[in-house]
Order: sequence, then C-alpha cells, then structure tokens
Amino acid sequence: MKITIDGKEFSCKPGQKVYDVAEENDIYIPTLCLNKLNHEERPAGCRICLVELVGQGNAEPKLESSCSLPVHDGMEISTKNKVVYDERREVLELLLSEHEQDCRNCGISGDCYFADLCFEYDIDGVSVCSECPNRKDGCFLARDILCLGPVTHAGCNAFCTRNGDPCESCFGVLSNKDVLVFGLEAFGENGFTRDQVLEAAKVFSYEEVRVLEELMDEYDLLNKEVSE
Amino acid sequence: MTNLNVNVEHVTRVEGHGNILVDAKEGKLERVMWEIPEAPRYFEAFVKGKPYTQLAQITARICGICSIGHALTSLKATEDALDIEVSEQDVKLRELALHGENMQSHVLHVGYLALPDLVGEGSVIPLATSHPEELKKVISLHKLANELSRVTCGRTTHPRRLIPGGFSKLPSPLELENMKTKLEGSVPVLHEVASFVKGLSSALPDFERETEFISLTHDDEYAFYDGKIASTDGDITPVDDYLSVTNEYVVPQSTAKYTKNNRESYMVGALARLNNNYDLLSPLAKEVAEDFGLSPVCHNPYMNTIAQLVEVVHSVEDSINLIDDILDKGIEEQGLNHQPDIEPKAGTGVGAVEVPRGILFHEYTYDDEGRCTKANCIIPTNQNHGNIQHDMESLVPQILDQGEDKVELILEMLVRAYDPCISCSTHYVDVKFKR
Ligand code: SF4
Ligand code: SF4
Ligand code: SF4
Ligand code: FES
Repeated sequence: MKITIDGKEFSCKPGQKVYDVAEENDIYIPTLCLNKLNHEERPAGCRICLVELVGQGNAEPKLESSCSLPVHDGMEISTKNKVVYDERREVLELLLSEHEQDCRNCGISGDCYFADLCFEYDIDGVSVCSECPNRKDGCFLARDILCLGPVTHAGCNAFCTRNGDPCESCFGVLSNKDVLVFGLEAFGENGFTRDQVLEAAKVFSYEEVRVLEELMDEYDLLNKEVSE
Repeated sequence: MTNLNVNVEHVTRVEGHGNILVDAKEGKLERVMWEIPEAPRYFEAFVKGKPYTQLAQITARICGICSIGHALTSLKATEDALDIEVSEQDVKLRELALHGENMQSHVLHVGYLALPDLVGEGSVIPLATSHPEELKKVISLHKLANELSRVTCGRTTHPRRLIPGGFSKLPSPLELENMKTKLEGSVPVLHEVASFVKGLSSALPDFERETEFISLTHDDEYAFYDGKIASTDGDITPVDDYLSVTNEYVVPQSTAKYTKNNRESYMVGALARLNNNYDLLSPLAKEVAEDFGLSPVCHNPYMNTIAQLVEVVHSVEDSINLIDDILDKGIEEQGLNHQPDIEPKAGTGVGAVEVPRGILFHEYTYDDEGRCTKANCIIPTNQNHGNIQHDMESLVPQILDQGEDKVELILEMLVRAYDPCISCSTHYVDVKFKR
C-alpha cells in the first residue's frame, strides 16, 4: 500500500494514520493534543496537525487532521502549502484566544512547544516570559524589579533575563491586546505604578509607551491610586 | 609650479563622516582642513530625567564598537555620584571585558582597516586572495576578542551584565578557564601577525610633529580601567578635574567640539597610552614594541596603528593574568539575577576609562531620586580632531610635491591612523577631487 506525501511516495500499512507515516519518514507535522501518553486514543481535538488531502478525480481538496486520518492506497497528501499554513495559523490563534497566558507562572515556560509554534506561525502572541528561565524563583516582578517581559514580543530567547537583568522591551510590545492586558495586570498585582511601567518602556521606543498608555486608559489599569 | 586640490569627501575605512580639503596654488599651501560634518547625537540631552539604572544601557548605544567602554565609563560616573562600591573581583572582570573590547577594536583597525594601506589595497577584500593565511590569523584574533566580551558581558556588543555595583551575572569558572586556554593559544598567532605587519611597516610614513599625549595613568598597571589623567608634558590631573584638561571649544568646520590642554591640540589613543605608560606594558607587548622601534615619546601619529598592535598583545597577556587571579581567589557566589541594593541619592560623579580610541569621560549629576539632571560625555575621537588638523598643516607642506594621489593617500592614512569613530557607523564612499 502506498501514499504520496508532498510529492514523494511512501509505503504504509492499512490502519495507519497519515501522521504516523509522515513521522516514520521524518516529515514534520506539528501536534498539540497528540502525545506519547495518548498515542493510541487520538483525541484529535486541537487540529494543528491539519494537512491537505488532495482531491482525486473531480473531488475538492480537503483539510483533515493527519493524526486521525487513516491511510488508503493511492492517497495524496500535502503538508506544506499556503492553505495548510494559514489554517494552522488560525487554529493557533483560536487556541491562543482561549489560553490564559500566564507564562510567568507556567511550569513549562522556557520550554513551551505552544510558544514555539506561535513563532513558527508568526503569531504575535507570546511574551518574553514564555522563554524566560526565571519564572520559578528568579522572576523580577516578585522581587520588586520591573521587568517588561510580560508585555514584550518573544523571540530573543529572553536574552536579558537569562543574563540577570530585567527585560526593557527592545523587541517591542506585543500587538495582541489580550496578552498585553494580562501583562499590565501582572504589573499591577506586583505593585508597579503606571508611571514606572511607562518610564521603563521609554528606554527603547516612545511608540510602545503610547500603546501601553492607551491600553491602560481603555481598561482602567494601573491607576496611580490603586497601585500606590 | 603645481596647483593642487585634494577634496576627500568622507574618508573611507573610518567610522563616520570626515572630509579632507587641501588647496595649494603654485606650490604654496593655501588651505588644509579636516572637516567633521557628522550630525550631533544629543545623547546628553536624552539621558536627562532618566533613572541611574538606565544610563549605562542608553549611553552604550553611543558606539557599536566601544559599547563596553561607554557602559563602563557611564557606570563609573554613576557609581562615583551615588557612592556605590564595586568588589575587587568585579573590577577585574570589568578589566577583562575592557580588554576584550580593546582587542576586538584594535584587531579590526589594524587588520581590516589599516592593513590594506600597508599592502597597497583599497580594502580588506583583496587580502583574502593575496594574503589568505595572514587574514585567517587576523580573523581568529578578532573572534577570540569577541568571545572574551561575550563571556564577560553576555554578548559581544552592547553589554548586558554590566550594572551599577557590579555584574548581574558572572561568568562560570569553566568559561574563564576555557577563555584562558584560548588566549594562551593565541600568543603564537599574535607573534605571526606582528611579524607580518613588521614586514610591511616601512609603508608607514615617517612623519613627526611634537604634540601632547593624554591618557590615564596608574602606578601599578598599564591604565585602562582606572587611574589619573597624565600628559606627556608632565602634569597629572585627577579625573574629577577632567574639564581643566579637555577645554572644549567650537570650530566652524566641525559639528564636533575640539579640545586642547597645554598646547594647541593633543592626541589620545593607543599611542598616547603607550607614551605615558610604556614601562607598565606586559613583557611580550614590550618585546613587540621594541621590535618596531616604538618607544616613548613617539611623535609619529602613524605609529598609533603599531601601538594598537602592541596593546593587543598586552591585552592578551594581561587577560591571562587577570583570569588566573580571579580563579585563584575563586569566584564569589552572588545568586541568580544579581541586582545590588542601591539607595539613590543626589550627587555628581565622573568616570574616565581608556577605550580603544583613547580616554573617555562621562559626568553625571543626579537628583535625590537618582534621576540624571545633567550629563556630559567627551569622546576620544573629538579630542583628536584638533591634533589631526595640526598634523595636516605640518605634514602637507612636506609632501606637496608628491602629487594629488600621493597626498590624498598619505592624508587618508593619517586620518585612519587615528582610528576615528566619527559617528558610529561606517560609510564607504568614493574619493572625489575638486579641480
Ligand atoms: S509557557 Fe506560556 S504559552 Fe506556553 S503553555 Fe505556558 S502559559 Fe501557555
Ligand atoms: S523575569 Fe521577566 S521575563 Fe522572566 S518570567 Fe519574570 S517577568 Fe517574565
Ligand atoms: S530587552 Fe530585548 S533582548 Fe532583552 S529580554 Fe527584552 S526583548 Fe529580549
Ligand atoms: S494533534 Fe491535535 S488534532 Fe491532531
């Protein structure tokens, strides 16, 4: 029995899923809900493993989750094309919108596959905290040192916090409002004032300051009276 | 009788913009001018109001080559103003960081920017085919220097671990040991590079003009990180009185301020340091200096390039000693993400550090919240502009009969010998003649 993935033919056994054939042949397909523990059950709930099932005859191409799609002889699959990419990106965005992003207090930040995927799919949604090794004992916020990690675009692998200094947001603040608000709340909870946050953000760009200021007004965050 | 017009707009293989203008009519020099059209940077204005914790990070951005030097000078000024103590170990680590930068910058200048003049090429690129082995050695030294900066500061440019009071993160003993092994391994390479340059050094113009050389000096060490201000004219000035040495003034042909002390101009940089502190050079560095016949007081500005080479050797040797010292005493634990407790207070402080291009001053005044109310930075290259002008005035009449091409080359080489960092960006622009 044979199937074609990205133009190459591979042999496979009946009952196998497309994802497994790809994995055997080192073709990378991202997965989230599938892991070593539930490998047999296939919850097939996240849909990040989407691939395109190329239509045969007149049939339209279809997007399917590869982890649960059984192989059949002569099947043709595309794992890398714009439609697949865009769809996966959308899946990630949906997941992110439901994801309470508290990377600072998350056990896996610094080694988070979800955050990695957000980079891979160019989603401006995860903060420096997701890459930071300090979240357990070293987090600056808990030590009364203002760190802009929670509102800053990840991608530097938390360079500064790894080197013992708080983040000054040289990568710029995130455009994802939800995450920004979450970050600003974290500042408030740790006793930082509006002015302190704005001053810290000024080191690299005044544009960032404007974005944060507008959000603080809109959501009534970090009011002087409240935080001081 | 010849008319001669040289107009080099934007001298190449230096950092930033500088123009050379020479007009001569019938063998008589009418005008020679070293112009700096670079736009002012306003760093002193925009640190105003900033908290003391941010100043080193911001002012490090004045220069992409001497960012470690700026950060350290800034920290010293802040630490002086706020009475912040720095441990002996951290001072040694800072000296190491400075050596890394000094080597990095000097190797870049000697190997990539000055060497082409000595072999008669317009840039370093042709050297890849004409002198591949030598170039590889230069590159290996450059890499080593960058690594020393990375191990001490977290990255090669724009240090991150240097903070008021010390370091936010220290290198591990293993990193330092590895560094030491590599530094030791570079000694033979240094000798080879030195003898290669020696073979070419006859191409350096034999020009002398008596001038004053200013640098830091220290009783116990070849001063980079600490000391008083010394002049080859004999006076020693405490760093706090730096303004009595720099005496900045404005000239019409330049957006940069000029400086003068005892004479109409003075020179800073590797040659100035070597002239003031020759006896404290490391043994190997002294050997190399002797090899080139370089001894104090040398008044040939072209020898600045050679002084830089000597300093690279010194930096390697001194770094090895510093690492030995630090490892012998054992690195003191300071915990993860070290941020010292500092009580802000009002005060004024001055920092002076020898950065690759010469003595650098930062002075800050802070209010009682630790916010900067006033800042002044005097950059080495600015202190050299006056000296470049006077060198040109004395040099051009001596070489006037050599023709435009030669005059232009000799003057460009002069500017490059000072290794000026006119802004902090490199511009490669073709030479133009005004006829
Ligand atoms: S590290 Fe951040 S993005 Fe990753 S799972 Fe934890 S909270 Fe979510
Ligand atoms: S130290 Fe900064 S980047 Fe790291 S977890 Fe805390 S807030 Fe986030
Ligand atoms: S300041 Fe820049 S490099 Fe440093 S942690 Fe923040 S985003 Fe990363
Ligand atoms: S991995 Fe989650 S649906 Fe396939």
